[in-house]
Amino acid sequence: MALRELSSLEKFLELKKPNKYSTQGDKKVPVLQSSDGPPLVGLITIACNLVKEAKRSELLGDSAESRAVVQQWLEYRVTKLNNYNKDDIRTILKDLNLYLQDKTFMAENQFTLADILMYYGIHPIILDLAMQEKEQFMNVTRWFDHIQHYPGVRRHLPPVVVLKNRIYPSRH
Amino acid sequence: MAAGTLYTYPENWRAFKAQIAAQYSGAALKVASTTPAFTFGQTNRTPAFLQNFPLGKVPAYQGDDGFCLFESNAIAHYLSNEALRGATPQAAAQVLQWVSFADSEIIPPASTWVFPTLGIMQFNKQATEQAKEDVKRALTVLNQHLNTRTFLVGERISLADITVVCSMLWLYKQVLEPSFRQPYNNVNRWFITCINQPQFKVVLGEVKLCEKMAQFDAKKFAEMQPKKEAAPKKEKAPKEAAKPQEKKEKKKEEKKEEKKPAPEEDMDDCDAALAAEPKSKDPFAHLPKSTFVMIEFKRKYSNEDTLAVAIPHFWDNFDKEGYSIWYSQYKYSDELTLTFKSCNLITGMFQRLDKLRKNAFASVILFGTDNNSSISGIWVFRGQELAFPVTDWQIDYESYDWRKLDSDSEECKTMVKEYFAWEGDFKHVGKAFNQGKIFK
Repeated sequence: MALRELSSLEKFLELKKPNKYSTQGDKKVPVLQSSDGPPLVGLITIACNLVKEAKRSELLGDSAESRAVVQQWLEYRVTKLNNYNKDDIRTILKDLNLYLQDKTFMAENQFTLADILMYYGIHPIILDLAMQEKEQFMNVTRWFDHIQHYPGVRRHLPPVVVLKNRIYPSRH
Repeated sequence: MAAGTLYTYPENWRAFKAQIAAQYSGAALKVASTTPAFTFGQTNRTPAFLQNFPLGKVPAYQGDDGFCLFESNAIAHYLSNEALRGATPQAAAQVLQWVSFADSEIIPPASTWVFPTLGIMQFNKQATEQAKEDVKRALTVLNQHLNTRTFLVGERISLADITVVCSMLWLYKQVLEPSFRQPYNNVNRWFITCINQPQFKVVLGEVKLCEKMAQFDAKKFAEMQPKKEAAPKKEKAPKEAAKPQEKKEKKKEEKKEEKKPAPEEDMDDCDAALAAEPKSKDPFAHLPKSTFVMIEFKRKYSNEDTLAVAIPHFWDNFDKEGYSIWYSQYKYSDELTLTFKSCNLITGMFQRLDKLRKNAFASVILFGTDNNSSISGIWVFRGQELAFPVTDWQIDYESYDWRKLDSDSEECKTMVKEYFAWEGDFKHVGKAFNQGKIFK
């Protein structure tokens, strides 16, 4: 999964030459061999590197505070969304729903790498949600829909249908 | 790509719309807001300016190619790109919808509420309270819309967001204190996201959200008054004196361009006139005067013993020509679950009927227990018809069955007694009293 994500990210960043990745270990951690230094290991390390390579450092946050928040969510992405079991899903959705109640993006008021990788990571969960659950976690759904429509982001993932008119308005 | 000059006084929220749109589209826009390029009150009165912009109002746009435009929405539209205007006919129409929404639903009450706090308009308590309600209504609509959406139209910022944000700038800066705006979480999120976009920030600077609701600034208002109202003897005198002029102005200029304090211009007469106009007509105005004084009864009901004083007072004074008594019953009692939810149903209806308070009184009671309950009530309305169909307050009304009671009948007397006092047999219900709510 991570490899396809990285290749989508490369396309989003409009990097000319696609990289060749390998994986290591049981968890298939992505590795990028570089010609002039030690190999880069791990989704976040490689993704941040790609962003820098594309000279889009604003995607990592444009202030000290937002850089920290971006890193926080990138970490959340690999620790919580790379392997979760069924029982975790509701906790994840609940936490995110609360967090996104007063936010448009994951970090501050800008679209960042955190939005992209959180979107890639949570996609399988959202894909499985029933319409009613999507409404229950409206803030997550709204954010998700916004990001999947962000130009150039979706790439390898199928679109998820989101209704703008609530059909279960009586719930909460 | 459009290139030209925007004439305005500094910090004009109407000009902001055009300036932000230009930031997004990349239109080369020069802003002429300070001397010598433009002096508000002088430049816009010169024959050369009036030749191009007959109203003499700002913002006004003149392209490098000589193309001239007035009216801020038109200018903003012109300076936009396709993405901002809406790429499909549907999106473009939705953008126009929100632009008009800002003009007709937000600006009038926002002006009525905010201007007195800036000292540029006389304070009128009733008008301000009404304006607050109207602002709440507009916020509710926006909040609902933004519940499922990130921006107003489509998934990108459009002219709709730019226009509505600009029309709410003063509200957020002056009066929407945290407790007031707290229920409109989605609107707040959207507003904060917008004003923090680089294209907004360049134009608006740092927008500081209101921390404490600003109140009428009488001192500033007195200072701002032009000399013509220099020696008002009575409070009412200047208002009346200004009236004919206000009217004339209003006819000529339906919409004023300037909203910022600028003493040399008596710019707010029109906005004042607009604001003073009653927003909705009293649907009961055509009825003959009634001898039953609703407020008097409500006072008795609130302050004195219901059985001993209020109900006798009610029957002594009730005027069956001018008022009618109705029995209401919730149609879907099968769907009622938890009692607190049912109570919210009742109080919610009361809130939505806020405008009716002057002309109605009701006691609505929840009977029974969780998952086995019913709602019914007694309503006293002005006039002989149900107030809902003849007004625009039809919210909730269709969820109830309504039956008019003969005020002379025993049934009616019993019901009034039981419902007003919240005690009795309630034979027609067959469930025990749980709790009651009063609309007054």
